[in-house]
Parts: sequence; structure tokens; C-alpha cells
Amino acid sequence: MQAPQSKEEKQLDAGLEGLITKVHDLKNQIAAFINKLETEYETLNWPSMLDNFALMSGQLNSLKQLLRGDKMPALRNFVLFPVLLSQDPDPHLEKLTEGRVVSCNHDLVPDYLRTKPEPEVEEKINLIANKAANVNIETATKQLNSLNKITSNLLDIINSSKDEWENDAGQKGSQPQTSQQQDTTNLVAAVTKGLRLRRPDPSMQQMQAGPIHSMQQVQNPRPGMGKMPSAIKTNIKSGSAHPYQRP
Amino acid sequence: MEGAGTSYSNAFRFVAPLQEHLLQGSILDAHCEVLLHRLRGLCDNADTTPETFSDYEAVYQLKNNLATPASQYILLRVRQALDHPEAPHHIRYLGQAEVGDKSRHTLVRACFDVACSSNVRDFLNELGFKLDHEYVARGYFFHKGRMKVMVSKIYRMQQPGKTDQNTLEPITQSHMVELSVVAPMGQDSIGEEMKNFAEQLKPLVVLEKFDHKRLP
Repeated sequence: MQAPQSKEEKQLDAGLEGLITKVHDLKNQIAAFINKLETEYETLNWPSMLDNFALMSGQLNSLKQLLRGDKMPALRNFVLFPVLLSQDPDPHLEKLTEGRVVSCNHDLVPDYLRTKPEPEVEEKINLIANKAANVNIETATKQLNSLNKITSNLLDIINSSKDEWENDAGQKGSQPQTSQQQDTTNLVAAVTKGLRLRRPDPSMQQMQAGPIHSMQQVQNPRPGMGKMPSAIKTNIKSGSAHPYQRP
Repeated sequence: MEGAGTSYSNAFRFVAPLQEHLLQGSILDAHCEVLLHRLRGLCDNADTTPETFSDYEAVYQLKNNLATPASQYILLRVRQALDHPEAPHHIRYLGQAEVGDKSRHTLVRACFDVACSSNVRDFLNELGFKLDHEYVARGYFFHKGRMKVMVSKIYRMQQPGKTDQNTLEPITQSHMVELSVVAPMGQDSIGEEMKNFAEQLKPLVVLEKFDHKRLP
């Protein structure tokens, strides 16, 4: 195996190395993201989620570019086949795969090295492909037209019911008022404090009439009558304050 | 005489440590039917037609010598069913409604109910109570568990003591809606139950703890 490497082999080695680093980057990124989801799910916000997705999509793109690049040999021309299958655990393999694959055995290899779908699936795909190939162009256009028609009809129906629904919602928002705060206040005031229920008290009427009477008296040109009450007031005041001022 | 009022209300508290939990609201007459329909669906007595009532309430007051304005008067409310003349009269004392903090969902006030004979009003007059105001409440009664829902129209009486239909005058174009529970003191969990019930009547009626200090 130590034979001098051909130019193609060198290219393949270099290409694979690049591919491995890119895939490794992508894997790390996904692992970090999963870790974030598991540990920071309470504080994680949507923008930082989007950032993570953008990073991954960028890495996928660069991987794609590498695969399409000029320096990458056509990988499909190479065949990978297992030389040895063994049920025994292989520590080297386990280390390489970070504990995911313990041994290169008969159970795993068909899944990992698969390049084609399973035979049953392939059969089904072929069947459908044949059927599609056999369809008459005319019938195809006919069916296409009818499908378009149905779709546009359906869209119309959805749009019209959406309009209706929005109208309904709008009407619900403008539902007529069923209660008035002022009425609540009035009713509560009436029931708890008798507001607007109390009859005008006859004694109250007298009290209301009183001031008017005295007003007339004040307007009366006789000054003695008007002064009398104020004199009494001051007398009472000084009388009550006196004993405390001079004990 | 000093402190007579406090001992009076303390006596009530001692005799009956019952509290009324209360939420209040109103609904315009035009929409009352919808509310009744909804209440019939929500409440226990759904199978029967809503229970109606027509009550006359007279509120008597006795002046109190206390300095605090809140307890200047002692009010006693005498109720009598106009549609059931044979039923006993009912006298009720209500304390000051407490709003409390946000954690409490309802108004809470002390409450004391007694059934009594029909001459209770004369008796109160003899005691020195004076008629403060009177009104007629007519409406519907529902219950759900221990919650009581009353939808009633409040009428002013144009002539003293006359409860004929033609002398009654509605004071608003709305029905009053009250959700209440009378429970022993300290049962605050009832507030949660009442809040959930009130939530189901929105937006038709907004039942809230109406701060009575806000009243004019």
C-alpha cells in the first residue's frame, strides 16, 4: 500500500480531509445547538434560535461548495466496501465515533454504507416513475387544468370565509355596551347609602329656608340685628379659651 | 354614651361572625334577558324558571355619638316580601364594606340577618330609629352552590309607604346585579370561586368590588 500515490489519490486525500473538517464543524455546531436547547430552553429567545439556524445553514452551504468544487474528485466514482465485519467491540472505532458505534458488525453496516434505497422502496419508486412516464400529455394537461381550477375555487372559498370571519370578529369587538358604569354607581349608591331614594326631609327644608330668611334680615337697614350673632360667637370663643390661657 | 356604638357593633361581631362577600355590577334593561339566559345556564336552579322576588326595603337609622363619620349612624334594613305577605319580615345589619388589597377579590362586610315579626318597624320607631329611606327591589334570584346572584331593578317610591306599581319609579335604566356569599369569618377562598363565576358573565356584566368610599 506504500506505492507512490498518483495525482488523483493525492487529490482525493486532500478533498476528504477538507470534507472531514467541514463535517466536523457542522457536527460541533449541531451539538452546541442541542446543548443550548437542553440547558437554556427557559431563557432562549427566537432571535438567537434564528442565529443558530443561520450558522448551520452557512456551514451546510460551504460543505456543498466544497463538494462541487473543482479540486474535489468525483466521489461517486469511488467505491467503499467493508473488508471485515466483526461482532467484537472495536475501541478505536468507538473512540472515532464518540461512543456511537461500538463495532463494525452485520447489523450496522448495511445501514451506514447504503447508497441506494431498500429494494422494496426502489420497486415502489420505479412503479410510480413508470406510471408517470406513461401518462398521456393531453390527459396530463387536462388533469393539471382541473387541479388548478379546484385549487383556485378552494382559495376563493377560504378567502370569502376569512372575510366573513373577520367581519364577525369586528362586529364582536363593536358589540353594543350592555352595562353602564354610571348606572352601577347610581344603583350601588342608592342601595347602600340611599342616595336619590331619600325623600326631602321636612326639617331639611326648614334649614334650607333659614339662611334665606336671615339674608333678608341682613339686607334690612337695621344693623343691630345683623351683628348680634357674631357678637355671641366671639363671646363664646373667648369664654372657652380663657381658662386654658390663664390657669 | 361614649363607645356605645362600638360596643354595639362589637356585639354584632361577637354574636354573628358572619361576613358577606360581595361583587356588584349592573346591566342595561335591554340586555337583561341575555343575562338571565346565561345565568339560567350557569346556576343550579336551571330547570325551573328564574325565581322572582319583589321586596320592599326600609332603612332605619339611629344617630350614634361616635366621632368617626363612618359610624355616625347605625343603619338597620327591614325587608318584606311584597309577593309573599305571609313570609316573616327580615332585618339586616351591614357593616362597612372593606375593599382590602389586591389579593382579595371581593368586598367583605360584616353581616347580620334576623327574621322577625311584622311589627318590627313599629318597634324600631319606639327604640328611636328613624326611617332614612325606602325602596322597592324587584327581580330575579339565582344560586350556584353557596353563591347567590340577584338581578334586580331598584324603584323609588313616590309616595311614602306606597308600593303600588303606578307610584314606583325606576331610578336607572339598568338592573342591579349582585353576587354574594354569606360565610363565617375567615373563609377567604370563597373570593376565588366568586371571581371565577364573575369572569363567566363578562363582558355582559362587569362584576367588581365596588369601593363604597368612591360613592358620592
